[in-house]
Order: sequence, then structure tokens, then C-alpha cells
Amino acid sequence: MRKRWADLLLALLAALLLTAGCGAKGGSGVSLTVMGKSSDLNKSYMRSIFALYEKTTGNKLEIRAFEDSEYEQKAAEAFQSGNAPDLFMHFHNADLSRFDVAENFLYLNGEDWVDDLTDSAKAYCTDGDGNLLGLPFWESSVSGCYYNKTILDSLGMKPATTQAEFDVLCQVLAETGYTPICWPGNGCAWMPQFGLDPIFADDPEMLEKINRNEITYGEIPAVTDMVRWIGNAAKAGWFGPDYRSCGWSDIGHALSSGDAVMTFIWDTWFYTDFKADGEYTVEDFALMPVFMNTAAEGSFEGGNLNMMMVNRNGDKVDAALEFLAFCATPENYNAAFDGISTVSCFKGQNTNIQSKMVTDARASVSEKERVSTAASRIVGYSGDDVVAALDRLFSGETDVEGCVRLMDESRIAAASAQGADGFPGA
Amino acid sequence: MKTRLRKILPFLLVCAAFAIAILIGTFYFNFISRQIYEDSTRYLGEIYGQVNRAFGTFVERNWGLLDGWGEYLSVTGNGGTDSEVAEYLEGKRRFWGFSDFYFLSGDGDALTVEGEEETLDLGEETWAALLEKREPVMAGEKRANGQEITVFAAPAEPGAYEGFAYEAIAVSYTNADMASSLNVDAFAGKAKCFVIRTDGSVLLSTQSGGSVFENYLVYLKAASDLSDAVLEKIQKDWLDGASGTVQCRIGDVDHCVLYQPVGYQDFYLLSSVPQSAASAGFLSVQQITTNVLIVIFLLVGAAVIALLAMRSYAQSRKSRTELQYRERMFDVLSNNVDDIFIMLDAADQQVDYISPNLERLLGIPLEEARRDIRVMEKCAVNYNVVIPKAELEAIPLNENRLWECEYMHQNTGERRWYRMTVYHMELQGVRKYVIVLSDRTQERQMNQKLQDALTAARSANEAKSNFLSNMSHDIRTPMNAIVGFSTLLEKDADQPEKVREYTRKITASSHHLLSLINDVLDMSKIESGKTSLNVDRFSLPELLEKLNIILMPQAAAKNQTLTVHVQGAPPEQMIGDKLRLNQILINLLSNAVKYTPEGGKIDFTVSELPQTAPQYVKLRFTVRDNGIGMSEEFQKKVFAPFSREINSVTNKIQGTGLGMAITKNLVDLMGGIIQVQSKPGEGSVFTVEMSFVLPEQEETDAWYRQKVTRMLVADDEQEICLDIEELMRGSGVRLTCVTDGAAAVEAAVQAHRRGEDYHVILLDWKMPGMDGVEAARKIREQLQTDVPILVLTSYDWTEIETEARAAGINAFLAKPFFVSSFWHTLKPLFLKTAEQKVDAPVEARVMEGRLFLVAEDNELNAEILTEMLDMEGARCELAVNGREAVERFTSSAPGHFDMILMDVQMPVMNGYEATRAIRASAHPEAKTVPIVAMTANTFAEDVRNALDAGMDGHLAKPIDMNAVREPVGRLLRRKDGEA
Repeated sequence: MRKRWADLLLALLAALLLTAGCGAKGGSGVSLTVMGKSSDLNKSYMRSIFALYEKTTGNKLEIRAFEDSEYEQKAAEAFQSGNAPDLFMHFHNADLSRFDVAENFLYLNGEDWVDDLTDSAKAYCTDGDGNLLGLPFWESSVSGCYYNKTILDSLGMKPATTQAEFDVLCQVLAETGYTPICWPGNGCAWMPQFGLDPIFADDPEMLEKINRNEITYGEIPAVTDMVRWIGNAAKAGWFGPDYRSCGWSDIGHALSSGDAVMTFIWDTWFYTDFKADGEYTVEDFALMPVFMNTAAEGSFEGGNLNMMMVNRNGDKVDAALEFLAFCATPENYNAAFDGISTVSCFKGQNTNIQSKMVTDARASVSEKERVSTAASRIVGYSGDDVVAALDRLFSGETDVEGCVRLMDESRIAAASAQGADGFPGA
Repeated sequence: MKTRLRKILPFLLVCAAFAIAILIGTFYFNFISRQIYEDSTRYLGEIYGQVNRAFGTFVERNWGLLDGWGEYLSVTGNGGTDSEVAEYLEGKRRFWGFSDFYFLSGDGDALTVEGEEETLDLGEETWAALLEKREPVMAGEKRANGQEITVFAAPAEPGAYEGFAYEAIAVSYTNADMASSLNVDAFAGKAKCFVIRTDGSVLLSTQSGGSVFENYLVYLKAASDLSDAVLEKIQKDWLDGASGTVQCRIGDVDHCVLYQPVGYQDFYLLSSVPQSAASAGFLSVQQITTNVLIVIFLLVGAAVIALLAMRSYAQSRKSRTELQYRERMFDVLSNNVDDIFIMLDAADQQVDYISPNLERLLGIPLEEARRDIRVMEKCAVNYNVVIPKAELEAIPLNENRLWECEYMHQNTGERRWYRMTVYHMELQGVRKYVIVLSDRTQERQMNQKLQDALTAARSANEAKSNFLSNMSHDIRTPMNAIVGFSTLLEKDADQPEKVREYTRKITASSHHLLSLINDVLDMSKIESGKTSLNVDRFSLPELLEKLNIILMPQAAAKNQTLTVHVQGAPPEQMIGDKLRLNQILINLLSNAVKYTPEGGKIDFTVSELPQTAPQYVKLRFTVRDNGIGMSEEFQKKVFAPFSREINSVTNKIQGTGLGMAITKNLVDLMGGIIQVQSKPGEGSVFTVEMSFVLPEQEETDAWYRQKVTRMLVADDEQEICLDIEELMRGSGVRLTCVTDGAAAVEAAVQAHRRGEDYHVILLDWKMPGMDGVEAARKIREQLQTDVPILVLTSYDWTEIETEARAAGINAFLAKPFFVSSFWHTLKPLFLKTAEQKVDAPVEARVMEGRLFLVAEDNELNAEILTEMLDMEGARCELAVNGREAVERFTSSAPGHFDMILMDVQMPVMNGYEATRAIRASAHPEAKTVPIVAMTANTFAEDVRNALDAGMDGHLAKPIDMNAVREPVGRLLRRKDGEA
């Protein structure tokens, strides 16, 4: 019932904005500056919403795009030199700390459109103190354990609901002659972050501590548990025989041929990179949580979302907020994301394309989804460094504790190089 | 065939034994495995029968409890409160450990003790059995939170709890709790145990993590190797309520699957155990048995192998020993022969064997050759021993190829010739190349020697022909003159002037012919190796003085300047063959005079060269002239016999062409070297270098003993003064040198006035201004002293001797200045007893009135000698052989013969024998009568032989009376003295 009222209010707001926009066409238009990465601003849905806004309201958007490689630097200089934009696009990751969020951006918890955000999208855009930093307006996918449902059915087996069941499932599959998990150990940096996400997403205080260098991976038992599980799984043959050389381009064939039954990936991958050159197609796959011994019930990783933030020190704060409200209007975002393959950021989003796999697992996803945390929020984190440490574990050059130590060393070295507070050399 | 069979029989027996052992083992293991399978199956059946009974007991207990609690509820439901019921049931839950207690309504709803409504999806059949048939039931259920539970339900007396009307009651257990009650620890946790329905669907699983199976029959169909027939039988068993056991393979592990009906409804207890786990106990026994058998088998096998190995080792050792013996023998053999043996592997040309004499014969270290046979390439002169692979491979099996090779020893450079034979053969199935390098060096050298000898013989023949040709020419030339002028002499005998002219020319031709014959004989003697050196002590000054005497007139005759220089301070006394050295130097100087035009200049220099050994002195004799010189081409053959440069000048000069050849041979004989530098029209320089032994040093303090401490020397050549000063150094005599006669007079006068008269004055003869003789005269006039005054000259002083002696000259000294000559000349003057002998006059008529016994078989020679003696005023008696000479002498009266002139080569008795006979005779003058050899045998050994035979001297034919007078006169005077 509440949702219906909210939808009604949003519709009224949109109508008002439209009315205002029509009025603005008379010549009293506002010009807003939007700063973002060149590649981000050029996304089709971004261009659509910008165009729609200008057309509908008669206002102007001055786009200040920077090349990806120089974006962080140029944007920081703009804020430092008093040349900040009205609207600023950025992912909620560690780099955002360079922009003094509390000083420069408006918290948006009180905006009308907040309730229309999906829980995961809202969580992604919220800081540790519960402040909503921006409007998520982006494409995303659901990362989890995608398994070959057809094979499991043929074996009279069912997907796991707990870590213990997942281990049994892997064990039985291995005994039966399958490679339970396709683990692309060669440079595929996303794999370990699925295990790390629950650790830090469920404990923001721990995230802050590690980002202030007050704690290390080695002092977090869950990290060691994860590494130990990965090591044991590899030894038990759950990753198959060639996991160290298996890379990005090998995953599709492993799954399509049925050699491997499961992998940790995201749904859009099946539509962008998966080539069914074997017996199995995307229709044969389903989604269950990732189990890496860091969440008993498993977890999904939410998408990394680009959000639009409002410069609280600008002279067009109200107009900027109106722009966000315009973007958060169902008609507008549905128009912008029409035909785009993505998980919804808005509850009213219905023109985007969502995979059957995610749709079927919707309940489990919404229950067990964690905000993407490790890669985006841990200062100095590098998936490549973690993969390198794991490879030395796989090769026997180091043990579990040594692997964790290597992960810490590379992270601390990177954070120090970035000049992060609390790290050596800062 | 039998031998071959005997050889392989042990191997066949061992193989057969192994085959039998393997067969027995296989049979045994199959038997044991079957037994183990049956026992383990029986064991599994017993285990899971107990589990099944335990599960049945668990089910029965729960149903029994539910019956009991149902009765309680029916009793208390009439008077008890819900809270009392709840408390009662909570107590039971704590005691019995179930999860929840449910009140079940007739329409399938459930109410927990806590009053929460739930829906239990037990299935229509179950509900019907419970509510309609009023039977106790058991069913699986999955809660909304995903938790799987097992529900036990039993009909109860209808009642109500918290307003909820129920007809049955139930308890639930989580599957984890259920599993723990069914878990079997006997198989190390590797067993899976399920409660399933007859369609295979899983009610609960004992796996600790939970069940991941929905239908185990589907799993078996998909994952195991069970055939459809077996699967159908399993399903039929389940429908029939039968138990069973099947063995299957899941993945790569053998499993034992056992199923038994639970006994309630259609539930089955199904267990799946890896065969290895099920049979672990049996397998350990089997393993032990197997291990024992393997150990026994291995021990027996090891014993057999050891036996065979020992036998093989013994045989191998014997073979090895034999091989070592053979190799050693072969090494010794090859070390003692000059043939080299090599064996190469045909595949890669690696060395299998190489005989150790390689290093001795070619200087190649054996290890180097073993590593790479191509090191022999370094020694190859005309062929590469490492034959290219293609050439080796071209040799058919069991055939061979030959090559001739020449090698040079790496260290000594010695060349050796080999015949290389390469055999391509197969040894024990491996192809080899056996290379035999057969030494052909001696054969080759022999051939070479024969070839050389043939060449030499041809050369000798050619030389002989050339020699005869040359000799014919050179002898006929003077002979032609002799014959021709003799004819003219006869014709013009009445014309004294012509007779003298012809006689002079005949004499000149005769002398030339004689010198030719002497040279030829010398050359022949030298070349035949019969020339020996007559080594004795001699005086270098004397030798040079005589040379000066001989050659100075020749040079003066051509108005040439012959200058003798002595450089350095060569010792005066040395040991060597004076005559040969004299001959060498005369040859060189004569040639210089001969081939230097009138008025030319000849320098003869003697210089001492550095010598490392103190007992030797090395001298260089240099003869330099500014004569006609020689072409470069002729210089190359100047020392070859009969070599004379043919040009307009030399054609007019008489010569045999043997002088330089003889000189060269003599120099070689004396261990010296001779060199020549010359340019046509500019002159020649001949250099002879040779060493002489130094005699023991004599005491040389004679000057001091004679109180000679001051000496005046006058010579216009400053160099000569310096030479004399140098030579006199160490004698204790202080020299005053002046360069002209007047200065000499002044110096002598001044010394006299000071009371320091010179003890010796030495004046050069020819000096500008006042010469030596005049200076001597002045000194004698002014000083009235008897100080010895000597004249130093390189000229013949005979023409001035009388004048010089009248002027007060005491003696003459020939240049170059030698201390010893000086001393020997001076010494008599000091002693005042020696005869004044400058050059004793020859006794011209020494033979006058003497009677000679002449032993000469040649009538012509006898006649000539008779005439010559007659010319000297002597007489002679002739004997035609040695015997006759002996007889004449022994029969003669003492003093009858003054001397015997003995030919050597005579018939009947030669001269030596005759001399010995005379000396051995009883004649009173047998020992004293002078006997002089008179022979054409003119070599040194001929002289020695003559003296050895007892003769007193040696005269060479043809007889030259000028040369005869002196020795004959000396001997006659000796005889006279003795008499």
C-alpha cells in the first residue's frame, strides 16, 4: 500500500517537473555542470537521460568529461581549485575518499526517490554512517555461483544452501568425475573478492580498521578461513587439474562442455562472453550463492554502481536535486534503460533486461546479496595481488598463513604508495 | 643349435618360473578378492542390519512415545490446562531430543506447542494413512527456511490445544539429528547412508554437511556403471521389499551399495560404502598376506637373480679378465710395434679403442684422441685420417679400403708413413670401423735411401765424368806445353836463348801440373774422408810471419799493397793444425793476389772474437781485396770443385779450380766456417772463423827478469803504436810512442840525458822523413849505446839488411807485431850468446861429395834423381826395390853411404819394410844412417808412416832440389855431428 502511495507521489513530482520544464522552455533554463569520466558519460543510457532532461526541462547540462586515466586527478584539482561541478559522477570506492565527501557532497537520504531504490543499490551508495551519497544510475549484474542445473538434475542432486552442503556437493561431483568448480586461476582477479565481500560488507567497522591500517588480513580469521578453503579445494581436485593455467577465455568452454559444473561469475557474462561451443547453453545454468567459507549461507555480490552526487557548495543545489529527481522518475529511468541488460537499481525499473537465472534466484539474491566491497572499498586492494599470492599457495611455495601475509604485504605497499592515512609513508 | 639352446635355457626357466608365479598370484588374489568381497558384503549387511534395526527401534520408540503422549493428552485433556500440557511436552522434548511437537488437525494444519501454526507437507498418502487409516507415519519435510526435517506422527484421540482441534500428534527431528543416529563410524566416515523411498527420493542423509541428493537412484543411474538391468532389479527389489547388495563403480572408486527395507511404509535404508573402506579390515589381512607372499616371492626371486648374477658375474669376470689380458697383451704388442690400431663406432665415429702407441708414434695424447679422433688431423701431412663419414659409409660391410697416409710427430716433427686399412665389420650386432695404420716408414725410408743412392750414384758418375773431363783438360793444357816445348827444345838445342826460354816455360808448366796434381790429391783425400788433422801447438806470429814471407814477394811482384792487421790481443800460442791453417790462408791470400790487378790493395786481418769457453780462442781471418770480384751467381758455387768464373780476366789466370773447394773442405774439417762477400769490379772479402785450443799459460815475467822496463816505439801509423801498446800491456814495460824517426832520435837522446835510457828501441822501417835505419844510425851516433834497436817492417828487409846492420840495427821484426816474436827476437840480444840469425843462408853445396843410396824402381825417376844429385856434386848407387836397398846397405862398409833416399812404393819390398829391415840390421850405422822417404805419397799420414817406419824425413815427388837441400843438409850435418 505504501509503495503505491510512493509511486503516486513520484508520478505527481514528475508531472510537476514536466510542467516546470515546459515552462522553462520559455527561456529561463538552468545550466548544470556534470563531471565524469568520458567513457562513463558516453554510456547510451546516460546520453539518453541527459538528452531527455534537456528536452523535457529546457535546462542545459554542461558535460565536463575527462579521460579515464586522468579523471581522478583532474576531478580532485577541480574541487581543490573551487571549480567543482554541480553534479559529480563517481563509483563508491576507495578513490572517493580523495574528495572529502562530507565537505563537498549533499547527503540524499531525505529525497523522495530513495524508497524506490533496490536494497542492494541503496546499500551500495550508503556510507558507513548510513548517509546516502548519490543516486545510483548505472548498469549492474549479480555475481554468484552459476551452476549447471541440467547436470545436477541428471545426477539426482540439488544446489547447496549452506557451505557444508556446497562442500558435499563438490565432493560428490568430484567423486563422480566432474570438475566441480571452474576456477580460472590465471589472472582472473575477481574470484577471491567474492569471498572477501561478506567479511567486510557485514562488518563496516572492520573495513574502516583495515583501511586505517589498524588491522591486517592475518588478524581476521575469516580471511585465513577463506584462503584455507581455497587451498584445500584446489588440493581436493575441486578446481580440476589445470586451474592454474585456466584463464578468462577458458571459462566458457569448461562450462559449455560440461567439464566443469559451476563457476563464480556474473549473469551478464553469459550474454557478453559465454560462447556455447559445447553441449550446454545459458538455458542450462542457474544461480546459487557463492560459498568460499566466509558466509555459512553463501553470498551474492551486488553490482558496482556509478552514482550521481550533488555538490553541496554549488550555487545550483536545488536544480541539481531536481535533476536527480528527474532521473529517478520511473518513466525517465525506464526510458533510459529500455532494452539495457542489467539488474535493476530501482524497484520500478521494468524496461531493462534481467536474466532468468537472476530472476529465479531473486529471493535468495535479495536475502544474501552483499555490496561489492573488497575491490572497491579496501584501500590498496588489488585482485591481481591476491591472485598472485594464491598462485604461490597453489604452487606450494607458501602455506595458508604465508599467502595471507603476501596479500597483506601487497595491499599495505599499494596503500602506502597511494599515501593512504595510517599506512607507512603517509 | 644345441649350444644356443643351452645358452638361453636358464633365461627360459626363469621366465617360466615368473609366469607360473604370476599365474598363481593372480589366481590367489582373485580368490582372496572374491572372498573379501563376500565377507565385506556380509559384514556390511550385518552392520547396516544393525543400523536398520536401530533406526526401526528409533521409529518404533517415537511412535510408542507418541502413543503414550496421546494417551496422556486424552487423559489430561479432560482436566489439564494447555500450559500444563506445554510444560509436559517441553519436558519430553528436552529428554528425548526432538525438535518440535505438533498437534495435527484433520485438514492437515499443524500447531506447535508454542502455538504457532505451520503447514506440514507430508503428502496425501501419508495424511490418508495417518488420519484415515489411523496408522503411525514417518515423512520428510522442508521448512520455509530450507531446513530439512523428519516428522513422526501417530493418531491421537481428538482433542484441542489452545483452541486448535487435533486428531493426531507428531514430533520432528532435523535431518542432522537423524543422521547422527544413523551415522556409521565403522568406515572412517566414508560411508553414506540414506533413508529413501522406493522411487529413490531421499528422505534423509547421514552426510554431515547435509544431503545434496534429491534422488539417489537417479544418481546411481547417472554416476555409476550399473547396467539398466541391475538398476531395474534394484527397483524391483525395492518394490518387493527385498534386500540386496550391488557392487558398482562411481567415478573411479568401487563402491558397495546395500539396501534393506526399514519395515515401515516403503522406506528403505540405503548405504553406499567405498569398497576399500568396506573391505579395509579384510584388505589389511589381504595386504599382509600379499606382502608376505611378495616378500617370499621377492626373496626367492632375489636369490635366483643373485645366483644368476653371481654366475653371470663369474662369467663376466672371467671374460673381463680374459679381455683385460688380451687388451694388455695387445697394448704391449702394439707398444712394441709401429702399427696403430683404432676402432670406431660406425654410428657416431666415437673411439672404442685406440692403441697406446699412438702417443709414442705421433705425439698425440691418448686421452685427446679418445675424446675426438679428429685430433689426428693435426699430424696428417698428406691425408686426413678421419675419413669423411660419407667415405666410411661407402665401405660395404665386411669389406675394406686402403689409403696411404703421411703423418708428422707433433713434438719431434719426425715423419712417418702409414698404409691405412679400414675394415667395416659387425661386432655383436654393432657396426664398427677397424682402422689399421700399418707403419711403412722403414720401407719408405729404404726406398728413399735407394733412390738417394741411385741419385748419388748417378751424380757420382756424372761427377766422375765431369772430373775426368776437367782433369783431361787441365792436365793436357800444361802437358801440351811441356810436350810442345820439349819438341822445340830438341829442335832448337843449339840456340841457348831459346833453350832457356823453352826450359823456363816447361818448368812453369811442370809446376802448374804439379800443383794441379797436389790439389787433386788433396781434394781426393779430403773427399774420401781420409784427411786427418795434425794438431799441435803452434805460434800464430810465426805462422803470420811465414805467410808474410811467402806472399809479400807475390804481392810486390804485382805492385800490390798487402797489409797485415792484428786486432785485439789474440794469444800467440795455440793448438791446432798449423799446416792446414797455413794452407787455408795461403789459398785465400794467393787468390787475392791472383785476382787483384796490379797496384791493388789486399788487407789481411786477424781478430779475436768473443769466446765463452776459457780454454778456447776464436779467431777471424779476413782477406779483403779490391780485385775483380765475383758475380753473385758464382759466389754460390765458389767452393765447388773445378769452379772458375769464366770471363776475359780469369781466362788469363792460371788455376785448377780446386783451391777454394779444398779451402772450404779444410775449414769444415777444422770445425770452422768460411764466408764470402763480393761484387764484380769492387773486390772480395773472404772470412774464416775457427776456434783453437789454448795451451797452458806460461810464466811471463821475462821482461822483469831482463830489467826491460822502458821501450821506445816509432811508427808513422798511430794504430800500430796503439796495437803494440795494447799487446805489451801487463808486461811491465812502459812504452813511449813517436810517429817519425827524428822524434825517435830526440826521445832517445832526451831519455839518455835524464839517465833513463830506453832498454829497447823499435823503429818502423819506412817512415816519412827519417826512416828507421837512419834513425838507428843517429841514435847510435849520439848515444854510443848498445841498446837493442830493432826494425819493424812488413817488407822484405834482405835488400837493406847489410846497410841496416851497419847502421846499428840489431835485428828485424816482421809486422804484425807479436809479443812472443818480439821477445824471441830480442832474447838473444840480451843473452849475447845467440847467433846473429836473421835468415840463415842456405847451404848451396851441402850435398857435394856425398854418396846416396837411392832405392827407386822407376828408371826414369832414378835417372832424373841421379842427374839432379850429380848437379849438386853428389853421387848415388841405385837399388830397384827395397830388398836390394837393404842388401846393398847391410853389405856396405860403415860410412860408405851418407844417406839413403827411399822410394815407398816399390816391388818386392816397399820402402817402409826396407827401412825397418835396415834399422833392424846389424850394420853399425843401421840406426844412424839418415833415411829419407822420396815418394809421391805426400799426405800427412804418409809423412807419419815414414817416420814410424824409422825414416828421418820425407820428400815429396817430384823432387825439387831447392826444397831438398835444407832438410838433406840438416840431416847430413846431424850425421856428421854424431860421427
